[in-house]
Amino acid sequence: MNLRLSAPKGKNLDDYLFCLPFNLYGRPKKVDGHLLVTKDKTIEVYIDGELKESFGFEDFDEYACEQLTGCSVMVGRKDDVTVKRICAFTNDEFISFAEVCKIINHYLTTGVLVEKSDIDEPKCPKCHLPLDGYTECPYCASKVKVFSKLVKRVMPYKWIFLLSILCTIAGELLNMVTPYVNRILIDEHVIPAQNYEKDFEVNGFILLCISLVVISILKVAIDFVNMKSSYYVALNIGKDLREDLFKKTLDLSMNSVSKKSAGELINRVSNDANTLQSFITDNGKQAIVRIMSLIIVAVIAFVMNWRLALMSILPIPIVMLTVKKLTMTIRMYFGRSWRCANNHSKLLHDTLNGIRVVKSCGTEAQEVKKYEAASGKWAKAITKAEIIWQIFWPMQDFLLTFGNYLVLFFGAKMILNQMPASWGTMTLGELTQFTSYITMLYTPLRWLLNLPRTFANASVSASKVFEILEEQTEIQDSKDCVDLDIKGTIDFDHVFFGYKVYNPVLKDVSCHIDQGKMIGIVGHSGVGKSTMINLILRLYDVTQGSVRIDGVDIRKISQQSLRSQVGVVLQETYLFDGSILENISYAKPNASFEEVIEAAKIAHAHEFITKLPDGYNTRVGNKGHTLSGGERQRIAIARAILHDPKIIILDEATASLDTETERMIQEGLHRLCEGRTTIAIAHRLSTLSNADQLIVLDKGRLAEMGTHNDLMRQKGVYYSLVMAQRKTTKMKKVEKAALV
Amino acid sequence: MNKADVTKNSELAEELFEVDTLVELDPKSLEFYRDDAGFVSLKYQGSEYFNVRLTRLLPFYSKTTYISVAYDNEDREFKEIGVIKDMSEMSPEQFELVNDYLEYKYYMPRITKVYSIKDNSRGFIFVDLDTTSGRKTICVRDWYSNFRLLTDKYLYALDVDGNKYFCEDINTLDKKSLAVLEIYI
Repeated sequence: MNLRLSAPKGKNLDDYLFCLPFNLYGRPKKVDGHLLVTKDKTIEVYIDGELKESFGFEDFDEYACEQLTGCSVMVGRKDDVTVKRICAFTNDEFISFAEVCKIINHYLTTGVLVEKSDIDEPKCPKCHLPLDGYTECPYCASKVKVFSKLVKRVMPYKWIFLLSILCTIAGELLNMVTPYVNRILIDEHVIPAQNYEKDFEVNGFILLCISLVVISILKVAIDFVNMKSSYYVALNIGKDLREDLFKKTLDLSMNSVSKKSAGELINRVSNDANTLQSFITDNGKQAIVRIMSLIIVAVIAFVMNWRLALMSILPIPIVMLTVKKLTMTIRMYFGRSWRCANNHSKLLHDTLNGIRVVKSCGTEAQEVKKYEAASGKWAKAITKAEIIWQIFWPMQDFLLTFGNYLVLFFGAKMILNQMPASWGTMTLGELTQFTSYITMLYTPLRWLLNLPRTFANASVSASKVFEILEEQTEIQDSKDCVDLDIKGTIDFDHVFFGYKVYNPVLKDVSCHIDQGKMIGIVGHSGVGKSTMINLILRLYDVTQGSVRIDGVDIRKISQQSLRSQVGVVLQETYLFDGSILENISYAKPNASFEEVIEAAKIAHAHEFITKLPDGYNTRVGNKGHTLSGGERQRIAIARAILHDPKIIILDEATASLDTETERMIQEGLHRLCEGRTTIAIAHRLSTLSNADQLIVLDKGRLAEMGTHNDLMRQKGVYYSLVMAQRKTTKMKKVEKAALV
Repeated sequence: MNKADVTKNSELAEELFEVDTLVELDPKSLEFYRDDAGFVSLKYQGSEYFNVRLTRLLPFYSKTTYISVAYDNEDREFKEIGVIKDMSEMSPEQFELVNDYLEYKYYMPRITKVYSIKDNSRGFIFVDLDTTSGRKTICVRDWYSNFRLLTDKYLYALDVDGNKYFCEDINTLDKKSLAVLEIYI
């Protein structure tokens, strides 16, 4: 990322490490400001070319960017408290300033001053659209490069694809023969017989009719082979793409996956792959055929009569441009009516779902008024869109075939010899043949006009798909990684980590966890508790420092070996759509049924499972919706027990359950954790009362570590957390008492 | 429940509901000032609060009424001092100081004209507009959510960078701007 953007007048950009312009300075008025970072570790703030303030790096402990509502500020902090606002800027500058803060903070903690930023530009330098985790803008990527990758995907099916192309060419050629046979039929049999010029020649007539039938049969046969081979190729390419994408998506690091939403990934696996699938069959094949057919038909038409041919083509570009413009307008009007329909159904959904609230508040009349307004708006929008559509549709049809009218008009005049001699003459059969060709000319032309748009859409999909397929997985097994038989000792050694480079979540965390001990991690929300767990699982790599298991840096342990020996029970248990048996044995698919029952018994799940009519074959439904929260949690514990991990992670495992269910589950958890290193996170501090040690995090730093009694005696962060929770419990009791 | 329990509970209830009471600040007694670090601090009824947090409780509809004044205590807990019901009751100097700070915190250029809107058909629109901060073209992602009317007339736009723009009454815009906007709102 470029952090040397502009310098104040009279200053040389090259004399500074970083030069960033900013536009606000404590007032709601735009200023011409610059923040300059010098090589001798000072920060200079210039307003209108004049030095306003300067700071040494060490004047503050930490630099950060804070987002206000409409703008952001760069601040200096001491002891985690913001003590100075250095400058302000609109949000488009946020990433650049955050990156400068990160680099200075890195210097403050390590003494190493990085001179260049290693993060990618957040926006495409060409079209300025946000890159959203893409390494290359999908809208601006080289289309030729992207499509050459796509062509390679066709290679395994090249012979069948070739067959489909040959069939399409043959089909197009047959299409061109039909008008010619029609012409002979009219000129040599129908007209002469009608004018009594010669006797009706039955043999010739029948022969021509038979040839038309044969052409039709041939066409059907060729179309069938064409369709079959085309679909074979398309569906197989789509299948290959989807499978490769899915496999690659599962291999990606969490860092990479979390940059894209689940919806975006699903979209890429299904929709983008489908777009490419249809592009290859429809347009890949058609590109050759349409262009060929355009050339052949145009040559025939111009040879037959160049004046008429020109007449039929001339209006097309103007017509197509008009149609394109009108299509845009229509799309906008229909888009608007779609939005109104959407708002209407949202309102309907909202009101009917909350009908109890509406009735209890007596706001029926108010809701009816709101509904009438939304419904009226929708009706108005759709009427407008339909009117425009009804005007547009016949007009478009007329304009598109306008060339045909000209051909018919002048062609008829030529048949009647009413045109100048230079135009030549024409027979009825020739005119019929000519108009057939002209109609055939419109199809590839229409396709050609739409091609840039189709091409652009497919290119965007291809860029998105290939970006995932070619992405380098950030978390990879190193060459010298080992399969470790984990005992369970864990060490955090001066660990720094942030999901976003400019926002560290864990700062200099060091601790030692003994094998077989139960450790509780406590702290306020967002303090970095779950982050510590993510690092143990190596879902992310630390920014600085190291995490070690049994003295081995986890980056040196193979991911398969590490994760197969760590069991996790989360607050929100995810159950796959399948039976209870499948869900329990998910982590160990080859487990015997006896092992599954044993695990379920330890987890106190066996009892409720046996009460279900379908026992272990009960389908849990999507995300396990047919089961209660406690039941789902017990299945998750059984799954973890079957997994037989060396390290157990309990992330708020009982937070969403009532006290009675929690008690039952605690028993299961207790059995699960016996003799294993256990790391538990819980907001309800009483849950962690039996922990051997507690790690207390505060603002990303390790504030305290010790047993419950030690920490209570210290009267530090943990003590205040316990006191605050006791106060809340007290308040709840009062509320209950008041209700009684 | 015996008498002692009732008394104990009512004490706790008092403690509990203390936080629920809306404290209206006396506009005449408020003494805000800006310090060198760029923060707004407050002297009020004999107490001094450094780096107070001023928040518009209705940022879209009311800019000078219902302003929450809060600070972080020694334990870095959020503490609300109270609410200024109407800033116009403050002295002109104090009004200017607070308003200036709020306008800066809620920096949001007002839309004064819309020249054109281009849809790239992939969920983004590019809006060429004039604002109180000058003319610019903003890129809006997911424009159904980020470029819309909050009421019948209040237009709100949020661009891909997180900058916000508004027009409190679109009817004050010229006819051409309204025609451009019509399809999108």
